Amino acid sequence: MAQEATSTMNKKKNKFTIGKFLNYFFLTVLAFICLYPFLNVVAYSFSGYNAVLSGKVTFYPIDISLTAYQTIMKNSQIWSAMWVTIFTTIMGTLIGLILTIAAAYALSRDYLPGKGILSGLILFTMYFSGGIIPTFLVVKGLGMYDSLTSLFIPQAVNVFNFIVMRTFFRQLPTELEEAARIDGANEMQILFKIILPLSVPIIATIGLFYAVNYWNSYFDALIYITSPDKFTLQLRLRNLLFADELANAGGNGEGIGTQVMSQSLKMCCVVVATLPIICVYPWLQKYFVKGVMLGSVKG
Amino acid sequence: MKRQQGQGQYVHKRTTQQTMAQMWKCRWLYLMLLPVIVYFIVFKYVPMYGITIAFQDYNIFKGMFGSKWWGFTTFQKVFADANFWSAIKNTLVLNLMTLAINFPLTIIVSLMLNEVAGMKFKKLTQSVLYLPHFISWVVVAGIATNLFTQNDGTINNIISSMGGSKIPFLSSEGWWMFTYVILQVWKEIGWGTIIYLAALTGVDESLYEAAYLDGATNLQRIWYITLPMIKSVVVTMLILQISKMMTIGLDAPLLLGNDKVMGVSEVISTYIYRIGIVRAKYSDATAIGLFQSLVNIAILVLADWFAKLIGEEGII
Repeated sequence: MAQEATSTMNKKKNKFTIGKFLNYFFLTVLAFICLYPFLNVVAYSFSGYNAVLSGKVTFYPIDISLTAYQTIMKNSQIWSAMWVTIFTTIMGTLIGLILTIAAAYALSRDYLPGKGILSGLILFTMYFSGGIIPTFLVVKGLGMYDSLTSLFIPQAVNVFNFIVMRTFFRQLPTELEEAARIDGANEMQILFKIILPLSVPIIATIGLFYAVNYWNSYFDALIYITSPDKFTLQLRLRNLLFADELANAGGNGEGIGTQVMSQSLKMCCVVVATLPIICVYPWLQKYFVKGVMLGSVKG
Repeated sequence: MKRQQGQGQYVHKRTTQQTMAQMWKCRWLYLMLLPVIVYFIVFKYVPMYGITIAFQDYNIFKGMFGSKWWGFTTFQKVFADANFWSAIKNTLVLNLMTLAINFPLTIIVSLMLNEVAGMKFKKLTQSVLYLPHFISWVVVAGIATNLFTQNDGTINNIISSMGGSKIPFLSSEGWWMFTYVILQVWKEIGWGTIIYLAALTGVDESLYEAAYLDGATNLQRIWYITLPMIKSVVVTMLILQISKMMTIGLDAPLLLGNDKVMGVSEVISTYIYRIGIVRAKYSDATAIGLFQSLVNIAILVLADWFAKLIGEEGII
């Protein structure tokens, strides 16, 4: 009986209905709306100067031209910003991972005296913080102002990532660990030989969380960095994109010569800054969804 | 649980000596924790002490410890400023508008995705919908300017080529709020569906079969079975979102805002940035930040209490 019902239901599922058609139709439209802005940007970046000026570009490039990309390739400011961003992303991700793993592993051991208080002190910072200015003054006081360290040390550990990782460590089976302990392994050996090899997916997830965050961040550079040669890609991009406005408003420090850049050049910068994210996106998506699910299990 | 049984002493009340012995056993763990503890003290707890400058006539040369105390003078000054209240109003208005549009839409899209039978189509659509979440606000703001500018933005070009008059998406206050909400929805709608889709996969198939046998239409099935099954997730998410009403990301309003729309785009976070970082009024900005944190905690505690009151899981 139940089987019969399932098979008729499957038949019904495969049947064409107006509702189903509308559902597919609207989802396709939605997906197009999500993608279109990217198409538009790519179209602009490859279009000729006149086509852009006359406002003809909408879906695909017109008068295909590589001038914008050639200009970008030769622009040393963009390249130096790219290196700064790559450096901070790598350093930030490494330090973030090391500290998060250490904290999450230690505090996931339920035999550790004081774990409750220590976890509580970490979680508390999620709900209450000193705010921008006191943090700014501390960073300045430590001599990190206008230094690249200010871009990845002050926000090294993300509490949400810590929760995700701790949840993961807690649900690992304990048998292997106990066997190793009986064989005389110490905490460090257990962590490196048993726990970490089992945790590759979660480490990838958290690593990507950190990496995307650092790649996309510009606010720390905006408040901590004053020398243009230490600007991150996103900050440089912001200054390029909104140069006209910044020039009107007095800008933030850098004069950029404020030549109004052509729209294709601006969009070309957008493409260059976004391409790395798009390239790692297939992995990103897979691991991020898992991470979000783990994070929603309360610790 | 297993671990506890394996090391029997946890069942009993521990003496100080046993605790000490246990702590010594865990010395490696403490060593691992040391850099983390140092990090949190230096970058989280010292700044919390730094809040004291909200109660001081902060002098950059005298520092946190040498500046003169003057109680609530800074707060009186901040509260008397109309810009402060306007920033709070703008924060609430933008957050509420985003919530009102984004929240139901996310649920609808989740339900729509859940109805898709073809796995390939579903996976592909999801991938596309999640993508904007990973794009930085700088890039989104850049793209948005390209699309929405009044003079030669793509959308206005299309509108004017069809004979319409150009719309000031980014330079009139009403339209700016509209554009802000659209971009928020665009960026986060796909991402928001993850949590609902996970809840939806947990719905028991046999309920659908029963409904089918009873002759329920697709819409009836969604309304009477699917929605009630995810009700608890919906309520929790709503409470969670409402508890964040006073918090607003700085990126979108700061990057999209301009002089013409300052009246609606200046929110608490951008106001703190402008007062504190741009104009270096440290005490004022800290006082505003503290006020915001306290209100946040109050809302959070209230929301948590309310969630438990109506029989849902707490959110803290």
